[in-house]
Amino acid sequence: MLVKVVMELEDVPGQLLKALEPISRFGGNLQSIMHQRERKTPLGRVPVMLIFEIGDRTRLNRILAALRAMGVRVTQLGEREGAVRTTALLVGHIIHTDIRDTIDRLNALKGVMVSDLSLAMGAPGKESTARMTITADDEKRADLAISNLQRIADRKKLLMITSLEAV
Amino acid sequence: MRIVLIGFGNLGRGLGRALVQKASFLHKTHGIVPRVVAAVDEFGAVVDEKGLNLARLLEAAGRKRTVAAYGAGKRGKLALKVIEDVEADVVYELTPTNIRTGEPGLTHIKRAMLAGKHVITSNKGPLVVAFRELDSLAKRCGVEFRYSASVGGAVPVIGLAKKLLAGNEIQEIRGVLNGTTNYILTRMSTEGAPFEVVLREAQELGVAEKDPTLDIEGIDTACKITILANSLLGMDARLKDVKISGITRVRPEAIRLAQEAGQTIKLIGIAKRGSLEVGPKLVPLGHPLAVGGTLNAVTFELDLAREISITGFGAGPKETSSSLLGDLIDIHRTLGG
Repeated sequence: MLVKVVMELEDVPGQLLKALEPISRFGGNLQSIMHQRERKTPLGRVPVMLIFEIGDRTRLNRILAALRAMGVRVTQLGEREGAVRTTALLVGHIIHTDIRDTIDRLNALKGVMVSDLSLAMGAPGKESTARMTITADDEKRADLAISNLQRIADRKKLLMITSLEAV
Repeated sequence: MRIVLIGFGNLGRGLGRALVQKASFLHKTHGIVPRVVAAVDEFGAVVDEKGLNLARLLEAAGRKRTVAAYGAGKRGKLALKVIEDVEADVVYELTPTNIRTGEPGLTHIKRAMLAGKHVITSNKGPLVVAFRELDSLAKRCGVEFRYSASVGGAVPVIGLAKKLLAGNEIQEIRGVLNGTTNYILTRMSTEGAPFEVVLREAQELGVAEKDPTLDIEGIDTACKITILANSLLGMDARLKDVKISGITRVRPEAIRLAQEAGQTIKLIGIAKRGSLEVGPKLVPLGHPLAVGGTLNAVTFELDLAREISITGFGAGPKETSSSLLGDLIDIHRTLGG
Protein backbone atom coordinates (compact mmCIF):
# COMPACT_ATOMS: atom_id res chain seq x y z
CA MET A 1 0.00 0.00 0.00
CA LEU A 2 1.00 3.57 -0.62
CA VAL A 3 1.16 5.69 2.52
CA LYS A 4 1.38 9.43 3.07
CA VAL A 5 2.94 10.58 6.32
CA VAL A 6 3.47 14.13 7.51
CA MET A 7 5.92 14.47 10.40
CA GLU A 8 7.52 17.37 12.18
CA LEU A 9 11.29 17.43 12.49
CA GLU A 10 13.59 19.70 14.44
CA ASP A 11 15.34 22.17 12.18
CA VAL A 12 18.87 20.88 12.77
CA PRO A 13 21.15 18.92 10.39
CA GLY A 14 20.77 15.15 10.20
CA GLN A 15 17.16 14.92 11.41
CA LEU A 16 15.67 13.88 8.09
CA LEU A 17 18.22 11.12 7.55
CA LYS A 18 17.50 9.77 11.01
CA ALA A 19 13.75 9.79 10.38
CA LEU A 20 14.10 7.93 7.07
CA GLU A 21 16.11 5.08 8.56
CA PRO A 22 13.17 3.07 10.00
CA ILE A 23 11.32 3.33 6.69
CA SER A 24 14.08 1.56 4.83
CA ARG A 25 14.74 -0.80 7.76
CA PHE A 26 11.17 -2.13 7.61
CA GLY A 27 11.10 -2.44 3.84
CA GLY A 28 9.42 0.82 2.83
CA ASN A 29 10.08 2.18 -0.64
CA LEU A 30 10.20 5.99 -0.70
CA GLN A 31 8.48 7.68 -3.59
CA SER A 32 8.63 11.31 -2.58
CA ILE A 33 9.88 13.67 0.13
CA MET A 34 8.67 17.22 0.48
CA HIS A 35 10.09 19.70 2.98
CA GLN A 36 7.50 22.28 3.94
CA ARG A 37 9.80 24.94 5.26
CA GLU A 38 7.26 27.68 4.67
CA ARG A 39 4.97 25.95 7.17
CA LYS A 40 7.41 25.94 10.06
CA THR A 41 5.55 25.42 13.35
CA PRO A 42 5.63 27.98 16.21
CA LEU A 43 8.12 25.71 17.98
CA GLY A 44 10.41 25.91 14.97
CA ARG A 45 9.80 22.41 13.65
CA VAL A 46 9.64 21.71 9.92
CA PRO A 47 6.83 19.57 8.53
CA VAL A 48 8.03 16.92 6.06
CA MET A 49 5.66 14.99 3.84
CA LEU A 50 6.72 11.49 2.79
CA ILE A 51 5.06 9.11 0.42
CA PHE A 52 6.22 5.53 0.50
CA GLU A 53 5.08 2.07 -0.49
CA ILE A 54 4.95 -0.54 2.26
CA GLY A 55 3.97 -4.23 2.26
CA ASP A 56 1.38 -4.26 5.00
CA ARG A 57 -0.04 -2.51 8.04
CA THR A 58 2.16 -4.43 10.50
CA ARG A 59 5.30 -3.01 8.92
CA LEU A 60 3.77 0.45 8.80
CA ASN A 61 2.99 0.21 12.52
CA ARG A 62 6.59 -0.76 13.22
CA ILE A 63 7.83 2.27 11.30
CA LEU A 64 5.46 4.57 13.18
CA ALA A 65 6.52 3.08 16.52
CA ALA A 66 10.20 3.57 15.66
CA LEU A 67 9.53 7.20 14.70
CA ARG A 68 7.67 7.80 17.94
CA ALA A 69 10.48 6.18 19.90
CA MET A 70 13.00 8.70 18.46
CA GLY A 71 10.68 11.61 19.33
CA VAL A 72 9.42 12.38 15.83
CA ARG A 73 5.88 13.74 15.85
CA VAL A 74 3.65 12.27 13.10
CA THR A 75 0.85 14.74 12.41
CA GLN A 76 -0.85 13.14 9.43
CA LEU A 77 -1.19 9.61 8.17
CA GLY A 78 -3.21 8.40 5.27
CA GLU A 79 -3.43 5.90 2.50
CA ARG A 80 -2.87 7.60 -0.81
CA GLU A 81 -5.20 7.54 -3.79
CA GLY A 82 -4.91 4.34 -5.73
CA ALA A 83 -3.44 2.79 -2.62
CA VAL A 84 -5.29 -0.53 -2.64
CA ARG A 85 -4.66 -3.04 -5.37
CA THR A 86 -6.43 -6.35 -5.72
CA THR A 87 -6.20 -9.09 -8.30
CA ALA A 88 -8.95 -11.36 -9.60
CA LEU A 89 -9.07 -14.08 -12.23
CA LEU A 90 -12.04 -14.66 -14.50
CA VAL A 91 -12.53 -17.98 -16.30
CA GLY A 92 -15.14 -18.42 -19.01
CA HIS A 93 -16.16 -16.96 -22.33
CA ILE A 94 -14.48 -13.67 -21.51
CA ILE A 95 -14.50 -12.11 -24.95
CA HIS A 96 -17.96 -13.28 -25.97
CA THR A 97 -19.41 -11.86 -22.79
CA ASP A 98 -17.87 -8.48 -23.65
CA ILE A 99 -14.78 -7.87 -21.53
CA ARG A 100 -14.98 -4.19 -22.41
CA ASP A 101 -18.38 -3.91 -20.79
CA THR A 102 -17.00 -5.63 -17.69
CA ILE A 103 -14.15 -3.13 -17.46
CA ASP A 104 -16.39 -0.12 -18.17
CA ARG A 105 -18.74 -1.12 -15.35
CA LEU A 106 -15.87 -1.24 -12.89
CA ASN A 107 -14.32 2.00 -14.10
CA ALA A 108 -17.70 3.66 -13.67
CA LEU A 109 -17.38 3.21 -9.89
CA LYS A 110 -15.95 6.25 -8.12
CA GLY A 111 -12.34 5.78 -7.04
CA VAL A 112 -11.99 2.45 -8.83
CA MET A 113 -9.93 1.64 -11.91
CA VAL A 114 -9.00 -1.50 -13.80
CA SER A 115 -5.26 -0.88 -14.01
CA ASP A 116 -4.04 -4.10 -15.63
CA LEU A 117 -5.47 -6.90 -17.73
CA SER A 118 -3.85 -10.09 -19.02
CA LEU A 119 -5.69 -12.55 -21.17
CA ALA A 120 -4.93 -16.20 -21.91
CA MET A 121 -7.09 -17.53 -24.74
CA GLY A 122 -8.38 -21.07 -24.54
CA ALA A 123 -8.50 -23.32 -27.60
CA PRO A 124 -11.30 -22.32 -30.03
CA GLY A 125 -14.63 -22.85 -28.30
CA LYS A 126 -12.93 -23.42 -24.94
CA GLU A 127 -12.97 -21.06 -22.00
CA SER A 128 -10.38 -18.28 -21.60
CA THR A 129 -8.85 -16.74 -18.52
CA ALA A 130 -8.31 -13.10 -17.66
CA ARG A 131 -6.28 -11.65 -14.82
CA MET A 132 -7.49 -8.26 -13.74
CA THR A 133 -5.79 -5.84 -11.40
CA ILE A 134 -8.15 -3.36 -9.80
CA THR A 135 -6.81 -0.24 -8.14
CA ALA A 136 -9.02 1.55 -5.64
CA ASP A 137 -8.68 4.61 -3.43
CA ASP A 138 -9.26 2.64 -0.26
CA GLU A 139 -10.27 -0.79 1.01
CA LYS A 140 -13.97 0.01 1.07
CA ARG A 141 -13.97 0.91 -2.59
CA ALA A 142 -11.88 -2.17 -3.40
CA ASP A 143 -14.44 -4.37 -1.63
CA LEU A 144 -17.24 -2.67 -3.54
CA ALA A 145 -15.42 -3.25 -6.84
CA ILE A 146 -14.92 -6.95 -6.02
CA SER A 147 -18.57 -7.49 -5.08
CA ASN A 148 -19.66 -5.68 -8.27
CA LEU A 149 -17.31 -7.82 -10.33
CA GLN A 150 -18.72 -10.92 -8.65
CA ARG A 151 -22.24 -9.93 -9.69
CA ILE A 152 -21.11 -9.29 -13.26
CA ALA A 153 -19.26 -12.64 -13.31
CA ASP A 154 -22.33 -14.49 -12.02
CA ARG A 155 -24.51 -12.91 -14.69
CA LYS A 156 -22.01 -13.69 -17.46
CA LYS A 157 -21.46 -17.22 -16.08
CA LEU A 158 -17.79 -16.58 -15.45
CA LEU A 159 -15.88 -18.28 -12.64
CA MET A 160 -14.30 -15.57 -10.53
CA ILE A 161 -11.26 -16.37 -8.41
CA THR A 162 -10.50 -13.66 -5.91
CA SER A 163 -7.55 -13.07 -3.68
CA LEU A 164 -7.60 -14.93 -0.36
CA GLU A 165 -7.63 -11.69 1.59
CA ALA A 166 -10.46 -10.15 -0.44
CA VAL A 167 -13.99 -10.16 0.96
CA MET B 1 -9.99 -49.49 27.99
CA ARG B 2 -12.51 -51.71 26.24
CA ILE B 3 -12.96 -50.68 22.64
CA VAL B 4 -15.55 -51.49 19.97
CA LEU B 5 -14.61 -50.87 16.35
CA ILE B 6 -17.54 -50.13 14.03
CA GLY B 7 -16.21 -50.12 10.47
CA PHE B 8 -13.09 -51.99 9.49
CA GLY B 9 -12.12 -50.41 6.16
CA ASN B 10 -8.97 -48.39 5.51
CA LEU B 11 -9.24 -46.25 8.63
CA GLY B 12 -10.34 -49.09 10.93
CA ARG B 13 -7.43 -51.23 9.80
CA GLY B 14 -5.02 -48.30 10.09
CA LEU B 15 -6.16 -47.82 13.66
CA GLY B 16 -5.84 -51.58 14.28
CA ARG B 17 -2.25 -51.55 13.06
CA ALA B 18 -1.44 -48.50 15.19
CA LEU B 19 -2.89 -50.21 18.28
CA VAL B 20 -0.69 -53.28 17.63
CA GLN B 21 2.41 -51.22 16.92
CA LYS B 22 2.01 -48.87 19.84
CA ALA B 23 0.70 -51.24 22.51
CA SER B 24 3.71 -50.91 24.80
CA PHE B 25 4.04 -47.17 24.10
CA LEU B 26 0.41 -46.61 25.10
CA HIS B 27 0.93 -48.60 28.28
CA LYS B 28 4.25 -47.07 29.30
CA THR B 29 3.57 -43.45 28.34
CA HIS B 30 -0.13 -43.12 28.94
CA GLY B 31 -1.07 -46.02 31.19
CA ILE B 32 -3.61 -47.22 28.65
CA VAL B 33 -4.16 -50.88 27.81
CA PRO B 34 -6.59 -50.84 24.92
CA ARG B 35 -8.60 -54.02 24.54
CA VAL B 36 -10.63 -54.35 21.35
CA VAL B 37 -13.60 -56.41 22.50
CA ALA B 38 -15.56 -56.28 19.23
CA ALA B 39 -15.08 -55.42 15.58
CA VAL B 40 -17.93 -54.93 13.14
CA ASP B 41 -18.15 -54.30 9.41
CA GLU B 42 -21.00 -54.30 6.92
CA PHE B 43 -20.80 -58.09 6.49
CA GLY B 44 -20.48 -59.28 10.05
CA ALA B 45 -18.99 -59.00 13.52
CA VAL B 46 -16.70 -60.69 15.98
CA VAL B 47 -16.87 -60.32 19.75
CA ASP B 48 -14.47 -61.46 22.46
CA GLU B 49 -14.79 -59.80 25.85
CA LYS B 50 -11.27 -60.94 26.72
CA GLY B 51 -9.96 -58.96 23.75
CA LEU B 52 -9.41 -59.79 20.09
CA ASN B 53 -5.96 -60.57 18.77
CA LEU B 54 -5.59 -57.58 16.44
CA ALA B 55 -2.83 -59.05 14.30
CA ARG B 56 -5.03 -62.08 13.60
CA LEU B 57 -8.07 -59.88 13.05
CA LEU B 58 -6.18 -57.79 10.48
CA GLU B 59 -4.96 -60.93 8.75
CA ALA B 60 -8.41 -62.55 8.66
CA ALA B 61 -10.20 -59.40 7.51
CA GLY B 62 -7.54 -58.80 4.86
CA ARG B 63 -7.91 -62.31 3.50
CA LYS B 64 -11.70 -62.73 3.57
CA ARG B 65 -12.74 -59.05 3.37
CA THR B 66 -14.71 -59.22 6.60
CA VAL B 67 -14.05 -59.38 10.32
CA ALA B 68 -16.53 -62.29 10.41
CA ALA B 69 -13.68 -64.49 9.14
CA TYR B 70 -11.98 -64.19 12.54
CA GLY B 71 -12.52 -67.05 15.02
CA ALA B 72 -16.12 -67.09 16.21
CA GLY B 73 -17.15 -64.28 13.87
CA LYS B 74 -20.77 -64.08 12.72
CA ARG B 75 -22.17 -62.82 9.45
CA GLY B 76 -24.99 -60.29 9.19
CA LYS B 77 -25.79 -56.68 10.02
CA LEU B 78 -24.75 -56.68 13.64
CA ALA B 79 -23.53 -53.16 14.41
CA LEU B 80 -26.46 -52.01 16.57
CA LYS B 81 -26.62 -55.27 18.51
CA VAL B 82 -22.89 -55.08 19.29
CA ILE B 83 -23.07 -51.38 20.23
CA GLU B 84 -25.87 -52.06 22.69
CA ASP B 85 -24.96 -55.46 24.06
CA VAL B 86 -21.18 -55.59 24.32
CA GLU B 87 -19.69 -54.09 27.48
CA ALA B 88 -17.24 -51.38 26.37
CA ASP B 89 -15.88 -47.94 27.26
CA VAL B 90 -15.32 -46.47 23.81
CA VAL B 91 -16.98 -46.97 20.43
CA TYR B 92 -15.01 -46.02 17.33
CA GLU B 93 -17.46 -45.13 14.53
CA LEU B 94 -15.44 -45.47 11.32
CA THR B 95 -18.03 -46.36 8.67
CA PRO B 96 -18.15 -44.59 5.28
CA THR B 97 -19.50 -41.06 5.09
CA ASN B 98 -23.00 -40.33 3.83
CA ILE B 99 -23.42 -36.57 3.73
CA ARG B 100 -27.16 -36.59 3.06
CA THR B 101 -28.50 -38.87 5.79
CA GLY B 102 -25.41 -39.35 7.98
CA GLU B 103 -26.32 -43.05 8.12
CA PRO B 104 -25.45 -45.60 9.24
CA GLY B 105 -22.97 -43.64 11.37
CA LEU B 106 -25.57 -41.31 12.85
CA THR B 107 -27.62 -44.12 14.39
CA HIS B 108 -24.46 -45.93 15.55
CA ILE B 109 -23.27 -42.84 17.40
CA LYS B 110 -26.64 -42.08 19.00
CA ARG B 111 -27.14 -45.65 20.19
CA ALA B 112 -23.60 -45.78 21.57
CA MET B 113 -24.15 -42.57 23.54
CA LEU B 114 -27.51 -43.75 24.85
CA ALA B 115 -25.79 -46.96 25.94
CA GLY B 116 -23.36 -44.81 27.96
CA LYS B 117 -20.34 -45.33 25.71
CA HIS B 118 -17.82 -42.67 24.73
CA VAL B 119 -17.63 -42.11 20.97
CA ILE B 120 -14.73 -41.34 18.66
CA THR B 121 -15.47 -40.87 14.98
CA SER B 122 -13.84 -39.91 11.71
CA ASN B 123 -17.20 -39.92 9.95
CA LYS B 124 -18.17 -36.52 8.52
CA GLY B 125 -21.74 -37.56 7.68
CA PRO B 126 -23.27 -37.53 11.19
CA LEU B 127 -21.34 -34.36 12.08
CA VAL B 128 -22.62 -32.51 9.03
CA VAL B 129 -26.20 -33.70 9.41
CA ALA B 130 -26.68 -33.51 13.17
CA PHE B 131 -23.79 -31.86 14.97
CA ARG B 132 -25.78 -29.96 17.60
CA GLU B 133 -28.00 -32.96 18.30
CA LEU B 134 -25.01 -35.26 18.86
CA ASP B 135 -23.14 -32.67 20.91
CA SER B 136 -26.03 -32.21 23.30
CA LEU B 137 -26.88 -35.92 23.38
CA ALA B 138 -23.29 -36.65 24.50
CA LYS B 139 -23.67 -34.11 27.31
CA ARG B 140 -27.05 -35.48 28.33
CA CYS B 141 -25.69 -39.03 28.42
CA GLY B 142 -22.56 -37.92 30.26
CA VAL B 143 -20.22 -39.39 27.64
CA GLU B 144 -17.23 -37.98 25.79
CA PHE B 145 -17.49 -37.29 22.06
CA ARG B 146 -14.41 -36.76 19.85
CA TYR B 147 -14.10 -36.27 16.08
CA SER B 148 -10.56 -34.97 15.45
CA ALA B 149 -10.05 -37.26 12.46
CA SER B 150 -13.06 -35.85 10.60
CA VAL B 151 -11.18 -32.68 9.59
CA GLY B 152 -7.58 -32.50 8.45
CA GLY B 153 -6.66 -36.20 8.81
CA ALA B 154 -3.49 -36.12 10.90
CA VAL B 155 -3.50 -32.32 11.24
CA PRO B 156 -4.77 -31.47 14.73
CA VAL B 157 -7.12 -28.70 13.62
CA ILE B 158 -9.87 -29.19 16.18
CA GLY B 159 -7.63 -30.15 19.09
CA LEU B 160 -5.33 -27.19 18.55
CA ALA B 161 -8.24 -24.76 18.49
CA LYS B 162 -10.20 -26.29 21.37
CA LYS B 163 -7.30 -26.87 23.72
CA LEU B 164 -4.17 -24.84 23.10
CA LEU B 165 -5.89 -21.79 21.62
CA ALA B 166 -8.76 -21.89 24.10
CA GLY B 167 -7.94 -18.39 25.38
CA ASN B 168 -8.66 -16.86 22.00
CA GLU B 169 -11.78 -15.91 20.17
CA ILE B 170 -11.56 -17.47 16.73
CA GLN B 171 -12.48 -14.85 14.15
CA GLU B 172 -11.90 -16.85 11.01
CA ILE B 173 -10.71 -20.27 9.88
CA ARG B 174 -9.27 -20.75 6.41
CA GLY B 175 -7.89 -23.94 5.05
CA VAL B 176 -6.78 -26.29 2.35
CA LEU B 177 -8.79 -29.26 3.59
CA ASN B 178 -8.90 -31.67 0.67
CA GLY B 179 -5.74 -33.51 -0.40
CA THR B 180 -7.16 -34.72 -3.72
CA THR B 181 -7.96 -31.29 -5.11
CA ASN B 182 -4.72 -29.89 -3.75
CA TYR B 183 -2.81 -32.63 -5.54
CA ILE B 184 -4.65 -31.84 -8.78
CA LEU B 185 -4.04 -28.08 -8.54
CA THR B 186 -0.39 -28.65 -7.63
CA ARG B 187 0.17 -30.96 -10.62
CA MET B 188 -1.64 -28.52 -12.91
CA SER B 189 0.69 -25.76 -11.79
CA THR B 190 3.93 -27.75 -12.07
CA GLU B 191 3.06 -29.56 -15.33
CA GLY B 192 0.78 -27.03 -17.00
CA ALA B 193 -1.49 -30.02 -17.74
CA PRO B 194 -5.28 -29.74 -18.11
CA PHE B 195 -7.60 -30.67 -15.27
CA GLU B 196 -8.95 -33.85 -16.93
CA VAL B 197 -5.46 -35.27 -17.52
CA VAL B 198 -4.30 -34.62 -13.97
CA LEU B 199 -7.53 -36.03 -12.55
CA ARG B 200 -6.95 -39.30 -14.45
CA GLU B 201 -3.38 -39.42 -13.15
CA ALA B 202 -4.63 -38.87 -9.60
CA GLN B 203 -7.17 -41.69 -10.01
CA GLU B 204 -4.46 -44.05 -11.27
CA LEU B 205 -2.33 -43.21 -8.24
CA GLY B 206 -5.27 -43.73 -5.89
CA VAL B 207 -5.12 -40.08 -4.80
CA ALA B 208 -8.57 -39.48 -6.31
CA GLU B 209 -11.54 -41.83 -6.07
CA LYS B 210 -13.27 -43.43 -9.05
CA ASP B 211 -16.12 -41.01 -8.49
CA PRO B 212 -14.28 -37.83 -7.52
CA THR B 213 -17.39 -35.62 -7.44
CA LEU B 214 -17.39 -34.87 -3.72
CA ASP B 215 -13.75 -33.77 -3.85
CA ILE B 216 -13.56 -31.77 -7.07
CA GLU B 217 -16.91 -30.05 -6.61
CA GLY B 218 -15.71 -28.76 -3.23
CA ILE B 219 -18.35 -30.68 -1.25
CA ASP B 220 -15.87 -32.59 0.94
CA THR B 221 -14.21 -29.29 1.86
CA ALA B 222 -17.65 -27.79 2.55
CA CYS B 223 -18.43 -30.67 4.94
CA LYS B 224 -15.25 -29.93 6.87
CA ILE B 225 -16.02 -26.21 6.95
CA THR B 226 -19.48 -27.05 8.33
CA ILE B 227 -17.91 -29.20 11.07
CA LEU B 228 -15.40 -26.46 11.97
CA ALA B 229 -18.14 -23.81 12.04
CA ASN B 230 -20.22 -25.95 14.39
CA SER B 231 -17.47 -27.23 16.65
CA LEU B 232 -15.22 -24.17 16.86
CA LEU B 233 -17.37 -21.14 16.04
CA GLY B 234 -20.45 -22.27 17.96
CA MET B 235 -22.64 -22.08 14.87
CA ASP B 236 -25.54 -24.33 13.95
CA ALA B 237 -24.57 -24.70 10.31
CA ARG B 238 -25.60 -27.22 7.67
CA LEU B 239 -23.99 -28.09 4.40
CA LYS B 240 -26.57 -25.99 2.54
CA ASP B 241 -25.32 -22.89 4.37
CA VAL B 242 -21.95 -23.13 2.59
CA LYS B 243 -21.49 -21.28 -0.69
CA ILE B 244 -19.61 -23.85 -2.77
CA SER B 245 -17.57 -23.62 -5.93
CA GLY B 246 -15.28 -26.47 -7.04
CA ILE B 247 -12.16 -26.66 -9.19
CA THR B 248 -13.49 -28.25 -12.40
CA ARG B 249 -13.35 -24.96 -14.31
CA VAL B 250 -9.83 -24.05 -13.20
CA ARG B 251 -7.59 -24.14 -16.25
CA PRO B 252 -3.79 -24.35 -16.48
CA GLU B 253 -3.76 -20.88 -18.07
CA ALA B 254 -5.47 -19.50 -14.97
CA ILE B 255 -2.74 -20.95 -12.79
CA ARG B 256 -0.08 -19.52 -15.13
CA LEU B 257 -1.63 -16.04 -14.97
CA ALA B 258 -1.76 -16.35 -11.18
CA GLN B 259 1.90 -17.38 -11.03
CA GLU B 260 2.92 -14.41 -13.16
CA ALA B 261 1.43 -12.24 -10.42
CA GLY B 262 3.28 -14.14 -7.65
CA GLN B 263 0.24 -16.20 -6.68
CA THR B 264 -1.12 -19.69 -7.00
CA ILE B 265 -4.65 -21.14 -6.96
CA LYS B 266 -5.85 -23.25 -4.02
CA LEU B 267 -9.24 -24.63 -3.10
CA ILE B 268 -9.89 -22.79 0.15
CA GLY B 269 -12.61 -23.30 2.72
CA ILE B 270 -13.45 -20.25 4.81
CA ALA B 271 -15.50 -20.22 8.00
CA LYS B 272 -16.45 -17.10 9.87
CA ARG B 273 -19.61 -16.24 11.74
CA GLY B 274 -22.22 -15.34 9.17
CA SER B 275 -20.35 -16.59 6.12
CA LEU B 276 -19.23 -20.05 5.07
CA GLU B 277 -17.56 -20.47 1.71
CA VAL B 278 -15.56 -22.92 -0.39
CA GLY B 279 -13.92 -21.98 -3.68
CA PRO B 280 -10.72 -21.56 -5.61
CA LYS B 281 -8.75 -18.55 -4.36
CA LEU B 282 -5.57 -16.72 -5.27
CA VAL B 283 -2.97 -17.38 -2.59
CA PRO B 284 0.43 -15.65 -2.59
CA LEU B 285 3.34 -18.03 -3.23
CA GLY B 286 5.03 -18.62 0.12
CA HIS B 287 1.79 -18.09 2.07
CA PRO B 288 1.20 -20.73 4.79
CA LEU B 289 -1.79 -22.05 2.80
CA ALA B 290 0.22 -22.38 -0.43
CA VAL B 291 1.09 -26.01 0.39
CA GLY B 292 1.79 -28.56 -2.35
CA GLY B 293 0.81 -32.13 -3.13
CA THR B 294 -1.78 -33.82 -0.93
CA LEU B 295 -0.97 -31.66 2.10
CA ASN B 296 -3.63 -29.93 4.16
CA ALA B 297 -3.13 -26.57 5.86
CA VAL B 298 -5.24 -24.43 8.15
CA THR B 299 -4.89 -20.85 9.34
CA PHE B 300 -6.75 -19.52 12.37
CA GLU B 301 -7.32 -15.81 12.75
CA LEU B 302 -7.48 -15.07 16.47
CA ASP B 303 -7.99 -12.04 18.68
CA LEU B 304 -4.90 -12.58 20.85
CA ALA B 305 -2.52 -14.82 18.93
CA ARG B 306 -3.44 -13.09 15.63
CA GLU B 307 -2.55 -15.85 13.19
CA ILE B 308 -1.66 -19.50 13.69
CA SER B 309 -1.13 -21.90 10.80
CA ILE B 310 -0.59 -25.63 10.76
CA THR B 311 0.06 -28.05 7.96
CA GLY B 312 0.35 -31.81 7.53
CA PHE B 313 -1.07 -34.93 5.94
CA GLY B 314 -4.83 -34.77 5.55
CA ALA B 315 -5.52 -38.39 4.67
CA GLY B 316 -4.16 -41.92 4.77
CA PRO B 317 -4.88 -44.69 7.28
CA LYS B 318 -1.59 -44.38 9.17
CA GLU B 319 -1.66 -40.59 9.34
CA THR B 320 -5.30 -40.49 10.40
CA SER B 321 -4.69 -43.07 13.15
CA SER B 322 -2.65 -40.30 14.80
CA SER B 323 -5.88 -38.36 15.37
CA LEU B 324 -7.93 -41.44 16.25
CA LEU B 325 -5.39 -42.52 18.86
CA GLY B 326 -5.01 -38.95 20.13
CA ASP B 327 -8.74 -38.83 20.83
CA LEU B 328 -8.55 -42.07 22.81
CA ILE B 329 -5.71 -40.74 24.96
CA ASP B 330 -7.57 -37.46 25.38
CA ILE B 331 -10.67 -39.24 26.67
CA HIS B 332 -8.52 -41.32 29.01
CA ARG B 333 -7.02 -38.11 30.44
CA THR B 334 -10.36 -36.32 30.62
CA LEU B 335 -11.70 -39.17 32.72
CA GLY B 336 -8.77 -38.72 35.08
CA GLY B 337 -6.65 -41.60 33.81
